[in-house]
Amino acid sequence: MSKAHIPNRKKDEKIILLLRRHPFVIAIKIGFWLVVAIMPLALYLIMSPAVDELLNHQIFQPLLIMFISIYYLYVWLFIFQSFVDYYLDIWIVTSHRIINIEQKGLFFRTVSEQNLYRVQDVTSELKGFFSTMFDYGTVYIQTAGEEVRFIFRQVPHPYQVAEKIGKIVEESKRFNKMMESEDKITIN
Amino acid sequence: MGIPLAIFYFVYLGFVVVFLFFTFFNVYHLVRFGFLSLGNLGVISFYLLVSAMILSSSWYYLSQIDWSQIIPITLQVMPTI
Repeated sequence: MSKAHIPNRKKDEKIILLLRRHPFVIAIKIGFWLVVAIMPLALYLIMSPAVDELLNHQIFQPLLIMFISIYYLYVWLFIFQSFVDYYLDIWIVTSHRIINIEQKGLFFRTVSEQNLYRVQDVTSELKGFFSTMFDYGTVYIQTAGEEVRFIFRQVPHPYQVAEKIGKIVEESKRFNKMMESEDKITIN
Repeated sequence: MGIPLAIFYFVYLGFVVVFLFFTFFNVYHLVRFGFLSLGNLGVISFYLLVSAMILSSSWYYLSQIDWSQIIPITLQVMPTI
């Protein structure tokens, strides 16, 4: 991952976790659109004499060509849109913060972050058949900040992720306490 | 009396313009906010290549059509299926 893509990156900040949704989630979406793409071909095989007649018709031929062209252009666009959604939704855990980046449509992007020492609780949830089979689920991160809850959606190995975040948060809190007591000593 | 076939061509062009608009912004998002990895660039190139193939093959067929035709508004326009 490029350093430039972490907003306001600090000098000593290290990426510990970079998470996207489980690949199964995008595979399901792409699979759906591929079925949609195959449907006209299946329809052609079933109704080929009628379609052939339409293709030879002076008026219907251009209309059918335009319809097929638009149909495949948009199926292809929706497949790409699914990929863009998948690729641009990222959850990053660094040595200092949790960053939540979500692309919600073409002109709506949210980036929120919170310091690790402000995390209060980390919960993982694995719900449903496919979620259990492929080991992906949701991780809820409760914080004391303005954005009270960070949700890592459909991430792989949610239990391990929650465990890892828990450990990092503990370390961060210990470090933060140590720094605070050091500051107090210096002031005194 | 009838509907000029060219009207459908302009409707088609409208759909293509919307497609190009969404394509532009999706690629822009991937380049701006995504990561310039080989995989990302590969996906963008593949998407643009397939899009160009669909558009050029459509253009190949559509360029052979006489757009000055008029669709007569009669029931006889439907071929017997």
